[in-house]
Amino acid sequence: MYTLPLARLIEQLQRLPGVGPKTAQRLALYILQRPDTEIQALAQALMDAKEKVGQCSVCFHLTADPICEICLDPTRDRHLICLVIDSRDVIALEKTREYRGLYHVLGGLISPMDGISPEQLNIQPLIQRVHRERPEEVILAISPSVEGETTTLYVGHLLKAFTRVTRIAFGLPMGGDLEYADEITLARALEGRRELD
Amino acid sequence: MYLKSLSLRQFRNYDQQCLHLSAAKTIIVGDNAQGKTNLLEAVELLSTLQSHRTNRDGDLVLNGETTGQIHGILERQMGTMELGLTLRRNGRRTVILNGQTQRRYLDLLGLLNTVRFSSTDLELVRGGPEQRRQWLDRLLTQLEPLYAHIWQQYQQVLRQRNALLKSHHANSTRPSQEELALWDAQLTATGIRVIRRRSRALARLSPLAIAWHQLISGCRETLEIRYLPNVKSETDHLEAWQQAFLVKIEERMMAEYHQHTSLVGPHRDDIEFTINNTPARQYGSQGQQRTLVLALKLAELELIEQIVRDSPLLLLDDVLAELDLKRQNQLLEAIQDRFQTLITTTHLGAFDAHWLRHSQVVTVESGRIMTDQQPLILTPNQPHHSNATKI
Repeated sequence: MYTLPLARLIEQLQRLPGVGPKTAQRLALYILQRPDTEIQALAQALMDAKEKVGQCSVCFHLTADPICEICLDPTRDRHLICLVIDSRDVIALEKTREYRGLYHVLGGLISPMDGISPEQLNIQPLIQRVHRERPEEVILAISPSVEGETTTLYVGHLLKAFTRVTRIAFGLPMGGDLEYADEITLARALEGRRELD
Repeated sequence: MYLKSLSLRQFRNYDQQCLHLSAAKTIIVGDNAQGKTNLLEAVELLSTLQSHRTNRDGDLVLNGETTGQIHGILERQMGTMELGLTLRRNGRRTVILNGQTQRRYLDLLGLLNTVRFSSTDLELVRGGPEQRRQWLDRLLTQLEPLYAHIWQQYQQVLRQRNALLKSHHANSTRPSQEELALWDAQLTATGIRVIRRRSRALARLSPLAIAWHQLISGCRETLEIRYLPNVKSETDHLEAWQQAFLVKIEERMMAEYHQHTSLVGPHRDDIEFTINNTPARQYGSQGQQRTLVLALKLAELELIEQIVRDSPLLLLDDVLAELDLKRQNQLLEAIQDRFQTLITTTHLGAFDAHWLRHSQVVTVESGRIMTDQQPLILTPNQPHHSNATKI
């Protein structure tokens, strides 16, 4: 049906998350129509990103440098470390512009089913970092799934010896009506209620 | 509540069929393997999002097709709603409420309440504990849809904990105490939620079942329903439960290492029925067991009605023929027009003539629904919706 080089391109594109056979075909045909320079730039960008982007040696956030911009930024509050699962979470939190502390990227969740034990996550480097830098607080920003809860429990327990450990609140979305919130979120929000300031 | 119509597209052996339910009772007649039970299964799926016959959506899709659909129009006191479920041979299902795709499955649960009574339920007493747990969990999901989430969480913890025990078995090492303790804590936290809800549901169901049982057995026998949780606590305090879990996990630790699976928790609960202080499982005659199951089903109907404040549907799958005439009449008398009832049967012979006259009869033949028998059954002064309005 497709000539071999085109079939190969479609096959490669289809491996990307969220890309099915139809989208892969559309993308491949689009790529063929573009000028050579544009496609070279795309190929170069792919190679460069793969080659140059690695993990920050301090916080494990994605960066092209040995240490990421956030860790190097002198205006950030160095007494705060926010623990997240992956770099996407860092980006989401950065977009809020509310948080001015540092991050630590865990790289996954404890999940024996997927063969992920605590040793495979960036937990030891975190303990060493907390021991070394002595932050005033570590904020755990991990989703409340079964694996997330377990990871929170584990990390929280380890860190308590060194510093104050908090976790982000779970509950109602802003601007959302109570009556439209689902039962799980509502039950969770009730559990996490607090005194009116 | 009243299910007005059920439409199927590429579901099981149905290509495209629609069933308009025009009476409080609908009798579905057909030979074996024509698709009678598939109709009840479709209603069950809209109600609980689960089928008692399969866990794989692929089984539910018509052979050779990739997607199947179930659609139902439900009338409730709060208004009419449309429930939809799209099943895929490969991939996740979609739940649709009033034409809108819902992000969470939970949003469809609890809208259509049903009690299923099939010939396999007659095994509820004599069968294994798993059957009784499934029965209770199904009831709980109807009463408190949130339970579906609680149960899923527990099962996920269980899967993870079992994976941990297994992985170390494969490497002939013992899991680190630290990591195991983590999953013990999760098993305890989620397990307590399951136990508390199961216990509460049985406590509510029990008096109703006992009353029905006395009525059916003519007061001669005394039924008792006892919850036998795998982990027992003297008091219902959270700390007491946590302590009980930890003690039991400690006790069974060696056995868990050897069997590399979790042996403590509500996945090993049981429910015991006793008649006159004798376990029904061992000593009850077949007649006694049937009386017991009938009492349980009637109690389920009543409990759902009490809590949901609307009458659930009753799905009778090939079960009437299994009951003797006396019990049949007791069941039909209890239902009357209070609960919309869907009944499957291979022949109409067993039904009372008066009763047939007030029912809609449809015939199912290899995936086709035929309502042509209806005018023969309904008397001329009995318009189609006369029974429906009584619901």
